[in-house]
Amino acid sequence: MKVNCSKDSLLTGVNTVLKAVSSKNTLPVLQGILVKAEDQHLIFEATDLEMGIRCMVPAHIEKEGVTVLPARIFSDLVRKLPEAPIELELENDILKINYYESNLSLRGFDPDEFPLLPDLNGEETFVLPVDIFKNMIRQTIFACSTEESRPVFTGCLLQIEESNLRVIATDTHRLAYRIAEISNPENCKFQGIIPAKTLNEIYRLLRDDEENLTIRFNEAQILFQFGSVVLLSRLIEGQFPNYKQVIPQSCQTKLFLNTRLFQDSVERASLLARDGNHPNIIKLSVESERLSIDQSSDLGEISEIMNIKKEGNDVNIAFNSKYLLDVLKVIESEEVLVEMSGSYSPGVIRPLDDPNYLYLALPVRTS
Amino acid sequence: MSQLTQALIEVEERLNSLLEEVQRLRPYVQSLEEENARLRRELCALPQQETERVIANAQQIQGVAHDNLERLYNEGFHVCHLHFGQPLEGGDCLFCTGFLMRD
Repeated sequence: MKVNCSKDSLLTGVNTVLKAVSSKNTLPVLQGILVKAEDQHLIFEATDLEMGIRCMVPAHIEKEGVTVLPARIFSDLVRKLPEAPIELELENDILKINYYESNLSLRGFDPDEFPLLPDLNGEETFVLPVDIFKNMIRQTIFACSTEESRPVFTGCLLQIEESNLRVIATDTHRLAYRIAEISNPENCKFQGIIPAKTLNEIYRLLRDDEENLTIRFNEAQILFQFGSVVLLSRLIEGQFPNYKQVIPQSCQTKLFLNTRLFQDSVERASLLARDGNHPNIIKLSVESERLSIDQSSDLGEISEIMNIKKEGNDVNIAFNSKYLLDVLKVIESEEVLVEMSGSYSPGVIRPLDDPNYLYLALPVRTS
Repeated sequence: MSQLTQALIEVEERLNSLLEEVQRLRPYVQSLEEENARLRRELCALPQQETERVIANAQQIQGVAHDNLERLYNEGFHVCHLHFGQPLEGGDCLFCTGFLMRD
């Protein structure tokens, strides 16, 4: 292999695939990045067998070849390289990196041991608008669980059905639901749980100027293709629970709140309990047209008062403030509608002008 | 030739007699089926009082079961089918409360 390229090209390739490098020591070759010179492109690949990423960058290829380089040191080296023309030369499994009159060499792994990333060619294909999908990820992913003991909750349920695209996430204490209307002329159907790690990477790698991303899937895997990037992920096995049964169909109290003012008040009210060991609980009391957000701890106490528009009964309820702040940060609408049915039923939050998003959180039972 | 014709005639007569017998049996079978259906109905039909008792009993069992599940949940265990019997960690569970409220 002999290649001439820029530092930027190397950096783009390495940074794109780095998150897929395995952090476990099970198979040494998985701690590497596969670098392949082919057809005037450098191809970078990494996988931890759960997720694999491939990225292609332009380069001047004098001689084709392939190697697997230790990811951590290779990415550090690439980051520190000068902004100069760079030459890569592979000889006997040792990659020489030449710049100016300097050079360094790096011993690679045997590329034959590196697992192939399947292309899922021939499987069902679907094209999604990038802006819609990115927003759907942003508005739901925070509700995923991080507990590995319950795998189905560590991902988002993606459903494609007729002209509806749905993304749902829950950690069993709260649930975020987003639906969007899309064009689906071939009536493609899909339902699968995509790991949150995969969706985080897609969100990070998707550029705003990209219009579409193509997905291909079978029963166990899903592949996302956009720009020069291909990301393959396994789907989480298991049955996602029937989320519809937990969405309340009616409510006893409706609050119409300014999103930013409510967010600011909750943020201020939650400041006094930040010891990190206990959930940050704030109390909401609605009386007539006044909402009081209270918090008290050893540090002091705070009572935020908001004048609001209300329909229905007065209510006293307590929430983990994180559950409220997470959703208020991703709602772009000026006003939110908060629906409640007493102190123990889930509170529903939705943007006032967008019926396609819904978030529900369980209150905290206080004595 | 005449023997063959004779044989055919005999077969025809026998078939006719079989057909007559089938036709004679048909209403008898029909009446048996009707009687069977009537007896089934009679067997299943309980007096109104008995029906009410069975419904009340079922409701009571359901109520007791719901109370037991609610008690179990309040003592800190999942009652949803996802994690039934496992300890509640990190607060209430949407699916347990959804299940208890639906009932």
